Amino acid sequence: MLLALLLCYVGFTALCLSTDRHHGELLHSKPSPNRRLALRLAGWLLLIVSIWPAVHTTDWGQGLVEWCAVLMCSALLLVLLLPYRPRLALILAGFSLLASPVAAVAIL
Amino acid sequence: MKEGFRQAMAWLHTWVGLIFGWLLFAIFLTGTLSYFKDEITHWMQPEVQAHPLDNARSLAMAQTYLQQQAPNAARWFITLPDSRQPGLSVMWQDKVDPGKRGNFIRKRLDSLAGSEVQARESMGGEFFYRFHFQLQMPYPWGRWLSTMAAMVMFIALITGIITHKKIFKDFFTFRPRKGQRSWLDGHNAVGVLVLPFHLMITYSSLVIFMSLVMPATIVASYGSTDAFFDDLFPATTNAPALGQPAPLLALGPMYDEARRQWGGGHVERLVVNNPGDVNASVNVIRAGSDRVVHDFGSVVSFNGASGEVVRVSTEQSLPMAISGSFYGLHMGHFAGPVLRWLYFICGLAGTAMIGTGLVIWLGKRQLKHAKTGVMPFELRLVEVLNIASMSGLMIAIGAFFWANRLLPVGFVERSNWEVQSFFIAWGLTVLHAMLRRGRQGWVEQLSLGALLFIGVPLLNALTTSQHLGVSLVQGDWAMAGFDLTCLGCGIFLAWAAWKMQHRAVAQPKAERARAMHLKGGVN
Repeated sequence: MLLALLLCYVGFTALCLSTDRHHGELLHSKPSPNRRLALRLAGWLLLIVSIWPAVHTTDWGQGLVEWCAVLMCSALLLVLLLPYRPRLALILAGFSLLASPVAAVAIL
Repeated sequence: MKEGFRQAMAWLHTWVGLIFGWLLFAIFLTGTLSYFKDEITHWMQPEVQAHPLDNARSLAMAQTYLQQQAPNAARWFITLPDSRQPGLSVMWQDKVDPGKRGNFIRKRLDSLAGSEVQARESMGGEFFYRFHFQLQMPYPWGRWLSTMAAMVMFIALITGIITHKKIFKDFFTFRPRKGQRSWLDGHNAVGVLVLPFHLMITYSSLVIFMSLVMPATIVASYGSTDAFFDDLFPATTNAPALGQPAPLLALGPMYDEARRQWGGGHVERLVVNNPGDVNASVNVIRAGSDRVVHDFGSVVSFNGASGEVVRVSTEQSLPMAISGSFYGLHMGHFAGPVLRWLYFICGLAGTAMIGTGLVIWLGKRQLKHAKTGVMPFELRLVEVLNIASMSGLMIAIGAFFWANRLLPVGFVERSNWEVQSFFIAWGLTVLHAMLRRGRQGWVEQLSLGALLFIGVPLLNALTTSQHLGVSLVQGDWAMAGFDLTCLGCGIFLAWAAWKMQHRAVAQPKAERARAMHLKGGVN
């Protein structure tokens, strides 16, 4: 469940950064159209890919439930962090990105 | 036309949400607590000690105990401890004349020593679980009302998606410290981020009660819902007693065999019919925690005297699997600790969505009367109900836990009085909310709630020997988790109370500043 959580969190952060408003708030600049597209694609891709670790460690039934739960709670966490601790939200995303290969090796 | 449709939906969302909001808040909060039903029960019955699980040993002890205490019973029930519920419980039914039902006697055993445990009488977490769909009303009215509330919740969710059309665009938006705007942001955020959970929990609650809500198809093809259930869950065809005594074999090997049949699945309960008879039968019932799709009738039956497998229940049919999956998803029996906490958080988000909705309804209308300072009766009524249904419910829950520790163990009708204190406390908060002006009422009730919840770990330390220092060291996570969660909840309530009090002062200042600014702009 950990890898799914990490991927979901990074995915949502990427999707969040792909909007003008949040990109401006977090990084104080307007994203270029290419960057926006890249962030959006990466975000969706990560969210979809995160199904794999969830169902890989258990069966499909349990895995999909876990994936949904992780999906909802990671988004909730990000949205709660954004107004209060925006830097922490970004740092967490970076950390998640770095930690996910380690978590991937752990479940393989 | 389109705008008209959206307005109609907004109207529906507003009013349906208001009228059922208070009830739905209580249902969601108690339902969310039910995810930790066993853990709450464990805290409320501290006499039942948690031990490392050793089911073979527990089962053997239960069998020995029943053999001594109830050798001639008609039926034995053995519920084994699991990681969430530490008690080993045995129950038996007296043998009486045919046609009459014998009395049930229930005892709780220590899972390590096999001796009887005298636990205090308490409903524990079962109270919240029962309340969230029966609402402490006689059958079937409570179920009807809660199902109706579920239906309304479903309508409110769908109209909500239509009304707050920007929720998907403003997916990541939450702007705190902006008054009414923040409440709406919060309402939208917890609504849309946890939307799959809201839809699942609401729809599945309707599926669980479908025979109550929409019996027409069942009645049309079966004549009555009873006939339908007879067909769905056929009476277990256990062999009748022959009257020839024969010793009952050890249950351990049957337990192992059943688990082997299920590929390592867990056992929830064993039922022994006619123990000591040559035709004794042993039904080993599978735990619901094994799979997401709940199977109501997963059983392996044995002949108790010879030990041979008599019957293995068949795979469930597709309609049963569909209904079982909704049941399983709603109850979350299969969830491990982490997933259970995520379920809990989702439930809290649902509760918060309802609460913020109620606050927004009132806040919008209060603005119009802010200048005169006099509120019309209907707004005052909504305010009183808002306070009592939210902070009042927290106080009631706190009072329930306090009553559990403060009522003497030997008190007559003890578990009843625990429930009574819940409702008495809740009733008093309604009175209090009527007597105090709005914000004052909020602050006082939230503070009292905070005191009650922060006091729970202290109270536990004073009245039992299972305080945090002990439970954390022993690794009794249910006990320690309960104390810590109460502490966290108390701190949250204190923060909310402080916020309320603080804003009462800050708000006029901000208003004044804005007024000055406007004036400056005009000049």
